[in-house]
Amino acid sequence: MPDIEPFNPRGMFHEGWSAEVEDYAIVCGWALGGKLFIVGDVAGGVYGFEGDTGKIVWEKNEAHSGGLLAMSIHPNGNIFATSGQDGIVRICNCNNGEKIKDIKLGKCWVEHLSWSNDGSFLAAAFSKKVYVLNQEGNENWVSEEHPSTVSAISWSNKNELATACYGQVTFFDVANNKTNQKLKWQGSLVSMKLSPDGDIVACGSQDNSVHFWRRSTGQDAEMTGYPAKPSHLSFDETGMLLATSGSERITVWSFSGNGPQGTIPGELCHHTEPVSSLAFSNKGLLVASGSRDGSVVASFLKKDGNGDPVGAAFAGDLVGDIAWRPDDCALAAVNAKGVVTVWNFKVRTTSISKGFK
Amino acid sequence: MSINERVPVTILTGFLGSGKTTLLNRILSEEHGKRIAVIENEYGEVGIDQGLVINADEEVFEMSNGCICCTVRGDLIRVLGNLMKRRDKFDYVLVETTGLADPGPVAQTFFMDEEISSEFILDGIVTLVDAAHIDQQLGRSDESSEQVAFADVLVLNKTDLVSDEALNSLESRLRDMNRMTRIIRAENAQVPINTVLNLSAFDLDQILKRRPTFLEPEYPFEWSGVYDVESGKYELTLEDGPDPEMSLVAFANQGVSEQELKEGAEASVRLYAEKAKNLEPGNTIPYDEHVSLKLEEKGTKSFILVVERSSKVGLFTQHTAEEFEMKVLKVDDKKNIREIPLKKERNWVAEHEHDDEVGSIAIERFGDVDPEKLNTWMGRLLSEKGVDIFRTKGFISYSGNPRRIVFQGVHMLFTAQPDKEWGNEPRRNQLVFIGRNLNEKEMQEGFDKCLI
Repeated sequence: MPDIEPFNPRGMFHEGWSAEVEDYAIVCGWALGGKLFIVGDVAGGVYGFEGDTGKIVWEKNEAHSGGLLAMSIHPNGNIFATSGQDGIVRICNCNNGEKIKDIKLGKCWVEHLSWSNDGSFLAAAFSKKVYVLNQEGNENWVSEEHPSTVSAISWSNKNELATACYGQVTFFDVANNKTNQKLKWQGSLVSMKLSPDGDIVACGSQDNSVHFWRRSTGQDAEMTGYPAKPSHLSFDETGMLLATSGSERITVWSFSGNGPQGTIPGELCHHTEPVSSLAFSNKGLLVASGSRDGSVVASFLKKDGNGDPVGAAFAGDLVGDIAWRPDDCALAAVNAKGVVTVWNFKVRTTSISKGFK
Repeated sequence: MSINERVPVTILTGFLGSGKTTLLNRILSEEHGKRIAVIENEYGEVGIDQGLVINADEEVFEMSNGCICCTVRGDLIRVLGNLMKRRDKFDYVLVETTGLADPGPVAQTFFMDEEISSEFILDGIVTLVDAAHIDQQLGRSDESSEQVAFADVLVLNKTDLVSDEALNSLESRLRDMNRMTRIIRAENAQVPINTVLNLSAFDLDQILKRRPTFLEPEYPFEWSGVYDVESGKYELTLEDGPDPEMSLVAFANQGVSEQELKEGAEASVRLYAEKAKNLEPGNTIPYDEHVSLKLEEKGTKSFILVVERSSKVGLFTQHTAEEFEMKVLKVDDKKNIREIPLKKERNWVAEHEHDDEVGSIAIERFGDVDPEKLNTWMGRLLSEKGVDIFRTKGFISYSGNPRRIVFQGVHMLFTAQPDKEWGNEPRRNQLVFIGRNLNEKEMQEGFDKCLI
């Protein structure tokens, strides 16, 4: 349990609430329109907290024997899915945390989960295969075996799923069971994010680079120079900026104009240890970052990717995941000691707060 | 996180049937009070009372630069990444690789992946060898040679199935391939647990403590002895031994300090380079000359040593005195026999024939190196020969730096970090390379150019 007390929030971070879960918290997210905050820990515990107060609403221990690996909250916010080392995908009710259905895929780990944007499908990466289930948990489509373990998944539109693995990104039309596109790159792709319009594919690679492709033009480029692998990537809502981890700095590539090829990225130097989580706000050029040093910072960015911090707090230990509330008026961070912290986020100026509540 | 807090990892490798699973079972079932996580990619009957066995696919990733020296294991990164989140529950991690696997990508993962290397430390590589079958495998498969080359500890298993003679010759062959390794003989993988866990195998000081001679130059002789004798006539007697002849150089006035012994050794090397003069039993041994004692006869063979005046006589011999029960005797007029005690003896690292492509090279030089020159030389060496250099270990003395620099590497990847202060110790550089087709002369010359 935590031995360092989080210090007072600064700037736009204001006192909210904090709570604890049993083990290292690795995933979190807002449900029920921000009324509920769900946290999953590495041992397989899943917890639902009241969004405003942090009061525990429900708690499910050992949802996955061997450990929990992933969680995805349905776009409607009423149901969520978790998966783990037990090879099971579990769909649950957000109101009470009760299991709706368990889907046993097999013996391997289910490492990635993602609901499609319209909520019709749930994709689950299971070793070298990807399963697509419907809301009821029935199998809708299953991929062939990939050349290696699937390392990331992302929906590009309601029927099209992108998968990343060693050496390639593949786009599948899961409704018509066909492969739309294959983007090859000799390298171990460890993370993937698509721009909101699905055109830009960005992947962090094991060899400390970010590789991206523009599907419309077929252009691709490699951004190197990271001291470590960029495991965390986040696009802003317009797809103009891509924030990347890979060191204690946040490197932000701007896709405005002909960028980012040949441009100098924005760099945000707020943390003393490598960035361990990144999330753009739902609206506006506001990025939140969590670090292995336990600090959480929010920064407003300009079009070129540079920016200034507007709020900061210390979460006590390595930040496992961060999540903006759907209205962006609160930011949550969970850490390696199982501490859950939610700060209220206040916006200072009306010009910047355009689009916020 | 400091280095000491990192969780130690042992890589366990060896050919199918060499006894890995038996050893694993022993480690897991022994009372050692540790929580050990075992990551394996083979199914086996393994007790999991105190450990956790995770099966993982073997997934080797080559980097986009296409360099095989930079391959890592994706499965291992995933499993360790997850394990480290539950770090407080494990004290130790054992990674078992399949029989045919190259240990390179496994070891490299701990250098290449920043997240893994910040949480885990590679403690050592243990290779199990089936004493009954390895001899055939060494000639035929690259993998088995590589597994030997990577090993910090070689467990020579199933020794009960092989003769002592065959074991000795196998051990000597393995030692030629990897001079840094520690060889442990075992039946049914019965080895003390502390010989395979917590090795701190990358700690060169420990290795030197265990085998103080491994960085030394090789000599054409194995032994030297110094006898303090009065003037007179002495007998050198030898019993039946493993060889029908033995080369020898005798010196008068041989000192017994380490420095004097080394000077004697260097002088002997030059004499040994000359053709040996055959010497039958009963003849007098000349000083400062390379002779070959003829020992075909059965029973005790005796040679004469004449000492003109009180002196310390030094003998530098091809084999150890023990192997022939060699003695220096004084026989007086009344036929009383007195054995002259050894004033000093020393063993030397004897030259071996290098039959295998895989071998090891040691460089030892006093003085400081220029860091820039060393970087350039090392960079070029590893980029050109990285594929063939399996392991690198050593410490070096950077000019102007009060602390010695310890480094270790796998293929092209290496880490160098400041270690303890030199203090009064003479500043020197000790490097060991293990690899395939290494050019010793070229590498030593290359290193010499980095010296200031």
